[in-house]
Amino acid sequence: MADFLSAYSIQNWLESCPQGYLEGTEYGHAPSETEPGTILENPVLREDAVRGTVQLVVGERCALAASSGLINAAPDEASKRFLATQTLDEARHVEIFTQRLFDLGVKKSELEDVIKSYASPHLVAFAGVLLEKVDKKDFVAGVVGQNIVLEGLAFSVFEMQYAVNKDMNPKFAHTLSGTIADERRHVGFGENRIGSLLKEEPHKKPAIEKMQKEMSYHILATFADAFRRNLKAFEEGQRLGDRQRELTGAAPGKIEWQGANLAQLAPAEMEQLLANTVLKEFKVRLGRLGLEYQTPATP
Amino acid sequence: MSREVHALAPDEFLEEVHSFEFWFHSVEGYLADTEFGHRPGTPEAEIPPDRRERLITALCNYCIGETAALEGASGLIGFAPNRQTKIFLATQVVDEARHLEVLMHRMTELGAKDPEAEIKRRATRTLPLFRRRLLELVASKDWEAAIFAQNVILEAMEFAAFQAHARNADPITREVLEGVIKDERRHMGFGENELGRRLAATPHVRARLLQVKRELDPLVLETFEEMLAELAIPRSERPELGRNYLATVERLGFTA
Repeated sequence: MADFLSAYSIQNWLESCPQGYLEGTEYGHAPSETEPGTILENPVLREDAVRGTVQLVVGERCALAASSGLINAAPDEASKRFLATQTLDEARHVEIFTQRLFDLGVKKSELEDVIKSYASPHLVAFAGVLLEKVDKKDFVAGVVGQNIVLEGLAFSVFEMQYAVNKDMNPKFAHTLSGTIADERRHVGFGENRIGSLLKEEPHKKPAIEKMQKEMSYHILATFADAFRRNLKAFEEGQRLGDRQRELTGAAPGKIEWQGANLAQLAPAEMEQLLANTVLKEFKVRLGRLGLEYQTPATP
Repeated sequence: MSREVHALAPDEFLEEVHSFEFWFHSVEGYLADTEFGHRPGTPEAEIPPDRRERLITALCNYCIGETAALEGASGLIGFAPNRQTKIFLATQVVDEARHLEVLMHRMTELGAKDPEAEIKRRATRTLPLFRRRLLELVASKDWEAAIFAQNVILEAMEFAAFQAHARNADPITREVLEGVIKDERRHMGFGENELGRRLAATPHVRARLLQVKRELDPLVLETFEEMLAELAIPRSERPELGRNYLATVERLGFTA
């Protein structure tokens, strides 16, 4: 265990993160990058960007509360130190996504009201399930909920959003790429550390599996909510794309992710693809830990 | 970060100095090119065996203080009153964890094979009592009292102790402690600013904090005595350490 945890030291974190892929960035992207005019000047696309970013802020606030809360429940010094780096990673994510809301025109004085009005109630419920375990200082359940379920969810969502924004909005894509690198490290810690702890406490498995089922349900409900609400923005994006292609004669673009071309998918198909990807990843990761994936109810 | 922070309006100043970005630019200046808190080329001095043992004991107790600070700062995030404060505390959490890591690493450089076991074996009497009381304040979610104990009293205690030790330390330990001191200065600044504004708005809080100070001061001063004796710091310098600690706390108007 000690050898594996030494890979998650503060020294490694300093070298790979602040002195590595974040070097030269401001709020996660190159200082010269800005949000594209097509978003800032179009009320439908701007509102959709604000709504989507609010969900990221809510998810990252939950991750910040969970990772900091787990430090005092960690059974060894090395895990405490890793969770300290994760705490700061999550705080950075809260900061950069909050900054994106400001970049999109949200006033600082309106921030909390905007978050309250756009936050998905299902995402808030998802956070509630996780933070209940953290409050009870249940380290194993907390790390599975945080580093496998929440981080696994964030990882897939960020990757999909990265694919969509890579060409259209390099500023946001670069912001996402740093968070993806962080989430990969967090998931790795969860898988490595929890495997050994679950062997010591196998009686905890049923409660953790129940938690995963409940959290997965809220994830699916969040996705359904998000994709239903962005229909108008989707149509507006299609309209602008069609007009652009008429003017330039360019061929329809291709946005590849998980073997599909997102540019050709309807919102309901994208929702299905994202949900399947997230749940498939859970199944694989939980299986590696010796946990049995529980299929959630359909929202 | 190109903005001159002292030219900012008060709200913007707080937003800036509590941010990850500010932390990032602050630490990269003094942590770049270091490994476990010191430059890789700094030579290891000849340290006589008895002095080496005393140094390991001191480092063990610093680790107890840093673990308390790590657990305290992380616990504070859960009930911090706003986003900026949560983000600042997250930077403090990683600072405290780094201190723990570099101090434990220094112990292994000095020959300690199992630092965690040494910490348990060499703990002074008073520091674990301080840790327990701090974590009780954090668990009670009393924001002012917990910030006071953590970012004023504990940080001031560490700041004073590390400064005194750094003056008499071997080159590697000195570099490690100097990096830690730079972080502690930022943490104390946060505590003073946060409590200063709150005390101005709600003066009745002062009485409660004075009670916390009266309770913790004897533990701090006794810890100093135990640590300084261990480090063989000259008796003439010991009162200065207590005075430095008290002066830091007094800047907030806590003189009783």
